[in-house]
Amino acid sequence: MAGASMKDIKLRIKSVESTMQITKAMQLVATSKLRRAKERMETSKPYAAISRQAIMAAVAQCNDPTVPFVAIRPVKKRCYVVIAGDRGLAGGYNANVFKEVDAHRGDTDFCVLPLGRKAIEKYNRMKAELLSNAYGKVEGMTVGVCYQLAKQLIDGYLAEQYDEVWLVYTSFQSMMTQEVAAEQLLPLPRPEEGEEKLVTTIYEMEIGEMLKTVTPDFLAGRLYSALCDSFASEVASRRNAMDSATKNAGEMISDLRLKYNRARQGAITQEITEIVAGAEQ
Amino acid sequence: MANFHLQIVTPDKMVYDGEAERLIARTVNGDVCILAHHIDYATPLGIGEARVTDGEGNTRRAACSGGMLSVSGNDVRLMATTFEWADEIDVARAEAARDHVSNAMEKLDHKEMEYARLSAKLKRALIRLQVTE
Repeated sequence: MAGASMKDIKLRIKSVESTMQITKAMQLVATSKLRRAKERMETSKPYAAISRQAIMAAVAQCNDPTVPFVAIRPVKKRCYVVIAGDRGLAGGYNANVFKEVDAHRGDTDFCVLPLGRKAIEKYNRMKAELLSNAYGKVEGMTVGVCYQLAKQLIDGYLAEQYDEVWLVYTSFQSMMTQEVAAEQLLPLPRPEEGEEKLVTTIYEMEIGEMLKTVTPDFLAGRLYSALCDSFASEVASRRNAMDSATKNAGEMISDLRLKYNRARQGAITQEITEIVAGAEQ
Repeated sequence: MANFHLQIVTPDKMVYDGEAERLIARTVNGDVCILAHHIDYATPLGIGEARVTDGEGNTRRAACSGGMLSVSGNDVRLMATTFEWADEIDVARAEAARDHVSNAMEKLDHKEMEYARLSAKLKRALIRLQVTE
């Protein structure tokens, strides 16, 4: 009986060890990817921030309510650009993004432009309306692809397929924390009320015309930056998840070793007792 | 001469962040030259050559396309879709693009959308070559 349990424990140790090997390898891969992902995230940030400022300044000075990207329409339907991961095993990374979308959309009718394989799978399963299921790889998505996305979003918006466009992504705060954020893309963001400055800016073109020209650039830049941000978050979150999985496996193994040694000791003691008992007779 | 703070950004990186004396860029309505203490100003950019004179008076040429230029206070921001310094341009690639596009345009039977896209592409290739001359 003691022998059988020894064998069982040995098998469990083996299986936990091989799991640990996998989680350890995944952690190393994530760590090496993280450095590049963070670099890309840093370099993509200035454009999004600077163009946002310029766009907000222009929107604040636009008095023409018929300009399509400025006018606020009653919201019958929203479009969500959801950036999730290409793969699972990244802690709560994917689930947190979907939770945010669910909390945000409420009961309003919606459609989704999913980016990343996990997002496509999720909204396919939900039978939600998808604008496209062609963007299944967030890693290494280029600026060019973001321009395509921006164009698609704008075409749909101008055709009044939806009245607002929201971006849900994960923002990289630090190695340990990544936060899900929702941000309105269309209609264009406007500065807080009451912050009105004296207006002296000269616009080369009529503001509405200018906004039509530069909005695709702004959206593409914003999407690119959010993609880089999300990918860095995904990798960081996978690294953390795999790190704690590896630690857990280590603890389990030392626990099992202890049990194994106890069982071995027990078996030996029992054998000695049996021999001694036999000799006494 | 007085300097101003110039930032040049593209979606994937910050190309220039520092003092500058003069910036010339191609807007949708033609070239503009920005000097220090320019009045607040904003415009979409066209496809063309840009010239930056830095704080030490060295002028660099670049191929620049799309995006927006904004002046606010003494801060000048050039948000371009693409911005390449002359010495970073791959001449062979630009030549190949020029030949490829002009061939494709000859074969085209006046599909307007396609034509506009190709002619923008051709223009970018030509500007790249012009800048590296």
